[in-house]
Amino acid sequence: MLPNERSDRDEPTDAEPADAEPADAEPTDAEPADAEPADAEPTDAEPADAEPAGGGRLMPCGEYFTSYADRMGLVRWRIEKVALVLAIPIPLLLPLLLGGGALSMVTRIFIFIIAVLGLHVILGYAGEIVLAQGAFMAIGAYASTRIVAETGAGLIPGMLVGGLLTAAVAVLFGLPSWRVKGFYIAISTLALQFIALWFFENNELAFIHGGSQQNIPRDVGLVGEYVTISSATEQYFFVFAVMALFVLLTLNLSRTGIARIFRGIHENDLSSAVLGIDVFRNKLLAYAIGGFMIGVAGSLYSLYIGFISPDYFTIELTLEHYVMLLLGGMGRVWGVVLGVSLVTIVQDEIRELLLTYAADATALEPLFFGVLIIVVLAVEPKGLLAGLGQIKDYLRKWPYAY
Amino acid sequence: MVEIATLFEVTVTGIGLGAVYALVAIGFSLIYKVTGVLNFAQGQLALLGAYLVVVLSTPLLISLELPASVAIVVTLLFGLVLGVVLERVIFRHFIGEPVLSVIIVTLALGGIITGGIRFLIGPQYRAYPEALRPDWSLSLPFGVDLSASFTLGVILSLVVVTALMLFFRYTVIGSILRAGASDQQAAMVLGISIERTILLAWALSISITSIGGLLFAMSAGGAGFTIEAVGILIFAAVVFGGLDSIPGAFIGALVVGLLQQLGAFYAEPILGPGVGQVLPMAFLLVVILVKPYGLFGTERIERL
Repeated sequence: MLPNERSDRDEPTDAEPADAEPADAEPTDAEPADAEPADAEPTDAEPADAEPAGGGRLMPCGEYFTSYADRMGLVRWRIEKVALVLAIPIPLLLPLLLGGGALSMVTRIFIFIIAVLGLHVILGYAGEIVLAQGAFMAIGAYASTRIVAETGAGLIPGMLVGGLLTAAVAVLFGLPSWRVKGFYIAISTLALQFIALWFFENNELAFIHGGSQQNIPRDVGLVGEYVTISSATEQYFFVFAVMALFVLLTLNLSRTGIARIFRGIHENDLSSAVLGIDVFRNKLLAYAIGGFMIGVAGSLYSLYIGFISPDYFTIELTLEHYVMLLLGGMGRVWGVVLGVSLVTIVQDEIRELLLTYAADATALEPLFFGVLIIVVLAVEPKGLLAGLGQIKDYLRKWPYAY
Repeated sequence: MVEIATLFEVTVTGIGLGAVYALVAIGFSLIYKVTGVLNFAQGQLALLGAYLVVVLSTPLLISLELPASVAIVVTLLFGLVLGVVLERVIFRHFIGEPVLSVIIVTLALGGIITGGIRFLIGPQYRAYPEALRPDWSLSLPFGVDLSASFTLGVILSLVVVTALMLFFRYTVIGSILRAGASDQQAAMVLGISIERTILLAWALSISITSIGGLLFAMSAGGAGFTIEAVGILIFAAVVFGGLDSIPGAFIGALVVGLLQQLGAFYAEPILGPGVGQVLPMAFLLVVILVKPYGLFGTERIERL
């Protein structure tokens, strides 16, 4: 609980050498489209991350690696290849199968996956507690809206500017990590959350953010006026493409030296510094990468809602994203996908259920999530993914458990 | 031209407000000092205290309509009980867990309290009963009046700070708390029940926090969700004072109250409404950058 006890945290997922990185093995870039993440469980062919220390990894029978490239590949096991082929058509067919409401929900899931992936880079890899998810998304949203509405440069430039601006702000507010760590970062980013909300609510500063409440122009092109995005289906495909890109990027990031350095810092920043890692610089790098992704998610979110207002970017959003991340399992891309999908679906169901009872019962939503997150943290702090891994391990050894 | 009388008035109000914040901030420091939990739900706990008085003393929700003084006493007792319950039910599971878990749990607790109150009472402002809206005020030089709730805030927070300091220094239980704070294992070896120590800290802290919430609501004439913001503002106070120092929290809170009032009065015409609340946040960032361990905080030295 003290700041210097952070290194005590026992998170096998993060300590894992990247070559055995379970999250890598996922064909997740195609899979998450599946609105029911539970379907896709059997595809994660890697052994559970909760493997007892010292135990060898269980590999599927009859599969051998004959080259280094195979061993390091993103899609390694046979079952993964099958799953990849089977899963790729799912997101492409979804718009045909789902109605407007469900499709809109899946779009929101995709957007939140990007945002939570950003949080996952900062928190899951680098271990910095950033409580400014709402503020980061708001910065991305307002910046891109301004670019789209006033310069007419199109969505992609807007997204890029939104992302870069968010990255810059994230780095700026990451500067205290030069001297302090742990909860001081949490406090300073929480301060950012409140400053940002005040800033966006304040119409006297409209010359910077362009007005506290704005409508997003309809039928905007991706670049300039080309390839306009107008219908919900087009929006879905666009968001899906961006999401797939970021999932792939994050998966590959976790296999590079950068993410290993992040994990080293997460595990023990003092030892990392002794080993010659520039801790401060790498923390800022994590802020920049994560901030960029959250900013892009924010600009997509503004496109999705069609209207921006500070009310969408409150501390509740931050808490919601933490629920998603922690429920799914921190430190793994697949956990993010699982957590976001599950929480969003459950949230929609609960909202409907509550509305049938009373109009003001939606106030119970934060209560529900609060209880959920406390229970998750108390029962399985590593998230659902670790729990599922244990079940799978058990089944794999069954009935000859040793 | 800054008028002396206006400046004095703003300053006095700022100190009054700061004294009310101080109670909430002391509640925070007390928990942090003894248990190491950073309580992000401090604002919501204050909110709970403020609303509980309304619920007990007016026909809202339950038709008990206790007299004001009884309502306050019940609220304080409720704070004690709530502290024990929270520690037993939630925070006990998180002893020794990573700091992230604890932070998220307190944030979630805040969400639970807000959601619950919003559901049961609704988002509206609830006026306090007549007896809790004192109309007297303290007359000070330059024709400045300090409202009753702020006067009470100054007095109460001074009393609480002094009492806590004396308690920590001169009583056996106080030194047990200090022992638990400085080294839990060594304290346990010497036969101190850490469980009871932590329980006591939670109970005291939440009770003190409820007084803060109550006074804050009194100064506004009733309970409203604006009290939640206190939970964030006190971070500026406690970080400035040094997280684990109770007098530090008191001084920090006064500074925050002053900053907020001065900011609200002098900067708002230029920067728009709400600057008063943002200024302490900016101050917080500066403190974290320049002097992260605050005025009286314990500096942590890290070794491999």
